[in-house]
Amino acid sequence: MCSSPLSFLGGLDAASGEILDSDCESKGESVSGKVLCFPYGKGSTVGSYAMYQLKLNGMAPAAIVNSSAEPIIATGAIIADIPMVDGVDISLLRSGDYTRVDADQGVVELVNVAEKDVVTCILRNGGKILLLKRSGKVGSYRGQWAGVSGYMESGEDDVTSALRELSEETGRTSIRPTKRLEPECFRDSDVVWRVHPFLFDVPSREITIDWEHEAFEWVSPEDLSRYPTVPGLQTVVGKLLERRKRKAD
Amino acid sequence: MRTGIAQSSGIPDRPALLPSRYYTRALILLDVHLTSEEEKILAGEQGEGRRKAMELLVALGDIYGAERLIPIASAQVSGASFKTIGDAGLRFLEDFSREAKVTVRSSLNPLGLDLVRWKAMGIDERFRERQARIVSAYRSLGVEPLYTCTPYLSGNRPRKGQHIAWAESSATIFANSVLGAMTNREGGPSALAAGIVGKTAEYGLHLKENRKPRVRIDLEEVPRGLVPLAGHVVGKLAGNRVPYITGLDVGPDGHKAFGAAMAASGAVSIYAYPGQPWKADLSEVREKISLPLSELKDAEESLAGGDDWDLATIGCPHCSPAELRYLASRLKDKKPSGRCDVWFCTSRHAYASCPREVAVLKRFGKVLCDTCMVVAPIETMYSRTASDSGKAMVYLPTLGKQKASFRTTDALLGAISR
Repeated sequence: MCSSPLSFLGGLDAASGEILDSDCESKGESVSGKVLCFPYGKGSTVGSYAMYQLKLNGMAPAAIVNSSAEPIIATGAIIADIPMVDGVDISLLRSGDYTRVDADQGVVELVNVAEKDVVTCILRNGGKILLLKRSGKVGSYRGQWAGVSGYMESGEDDVTSALRELSEETGRTSIRPTKRLEPECFRDSDVVWRVHPFLFDVPSREITIDWEHEAFEWVSPEDLSRYPTVPGLQTVVGKLLERRKRKAD
Repeated sequence: MRTGIAQSSGIPDRPALLPSRYYTRALILLDVHLTSEEEKILAGEQGEGRRKAMELLVALGDIYGAERLIPIASAQVSGASFKTIGDAGLRFLEDFSREAKVTVRSSLNPLGLDLVRWKAMGIDERFRERQARIVSAYRSLGVEPLYTCTPYLSGNRPRKGQHIAWAESSATIFANSVLGAMTNREGGPSALAAGIVGKTAEYGLHLKENRKPRVRIDLEEVPRGLVPLAGHVVGKLAGNRVPYITGLDVGPDGHKAFGAAMAASGAVSIYAYPGQPWKADLSEVREKISLPLSELKDAEESLAGGDDWDLATIGCPHCSPAELRYLASRLKDKKPSGRCDVWFCTSRHAYASCPREVAVLKRFGKVLCDTCMVVAPIETMYSRTASDSGKAMVYLPTLGKQKASFRTTDALLGAISR
């Protein structure tokens, strides 16, 4: 695993497969037989040949996972016959993950990591948003602040889940989402949370919380960073409140 | 089961599946449309070498958003010197040469040595042996042994409007700008793959849209010796925009030196100028920059370096016959100063066509073919090198590990003679 761009010429020892690049968190480890993950390649075009040399030395990685393919690495992967995929959000991978790269399906499977679909609803009133403090009775993230959130249940679409959670956790019914975004993924230890974000504008700040929460506050979005929140909440709120940029003429 | 995030939802956990795009083997996911003939090649029906070459073209085409492959008239392959590709490149070429052959005219870049005078150059036996294996691998691949960065002066000269796949940045920019051919700046493996398949992916400078100048750069009258520096400065100014250049009143050799320097210092492999042989659409020019002579003088000063060179080099890109004649005419009545070693670098073709001029130049130094100061292992022989080339000023300090000094051609001739 290397969160920074990598060069096969100079960044790696061709004889041992050991990573030499000091910007790389896996420096000192060998890539041999492993799934090697880095954002994209850098450096000399001779790097493609260096990948071939690594393969001849029997030290090539089993597969390469990139966030975006560029010509040096793609060329090297092809001439050295190393399976390679790109378009992967590599922030979801961690060094040591047991990873399966499926050539035919075009997916990277994190075998020991569970992916869980959840909805997160942000309620807004008068410029403030609702934060709920998770109670001691829930299974995780106890005492942390979150939006209205919960698992999507089997067969349920995300809008249905959002409305159900809203009714359970705040007592509010029959309202429509102001905004709904594509899911955002966040990695936390052995879970990838696939968060489906929703924004609801509500006419009043009265709510009734249930057992899952012990407190709530209406806060300015700028003050969010002062609260200990569940993973990704700031990102989700940021995207939900982002005003659509006007087209510049 | 009405749950918060953390409680089990009753849904069995599934492993995280991250969607991705696949670049090798499972090419069905790619966006490049292939003909049935091309698909057969990709499926390996015409052998492993052609399959691999096709896979490379399609993957690169996909990265750059190409929709299809187009036929090419020729290829120019870089990555010929043992110094630049090393043992890894040598092993790849040896293996690849057993399974593939080019199908369109393809010529080769300079090597790391003069095939005849390598010993006099100071090349050791180990380097020579490796270089000889590279030469033999390229011969098996069917690549024409021109060993020059100026293939357009040695018979591989594309016509206007032809699509080609050329590596070697100085040849690419000359072919696009001065000859009106159409090529991207290929890497060594992709140019070779294109030569093998006879096609390249249609993107970048193969599309008219991307050849439109976006910035106009007006030069004051440039003294002959500073033309390479003009290229050096223009390359940096243009960034990734195609420039339209006025005030560059030079012949083909001037364009050769200018373009080589521009391609070495910048990202763009094409420029337009009044009277270029291809039609340039100037409707997208959004900015105009004036480049006063004083800026070229500043560049000359900043690239001047020291005076204590142990090698003076002329011929990057390789000297044309006209340049060899000019050099000989300036030196024929002089004596060598003996101040430093001298390399005149040229193609085998130009060398053979100018025997009398070569005889004059040999009194002052070595006239080398098949190689040059950029790709020879110069760091094992010299540490301070002067050059009249804007391109060499980019590569001598990096690839060549030299303390580099820029001098105009005439200044170099003055220094090596008396």
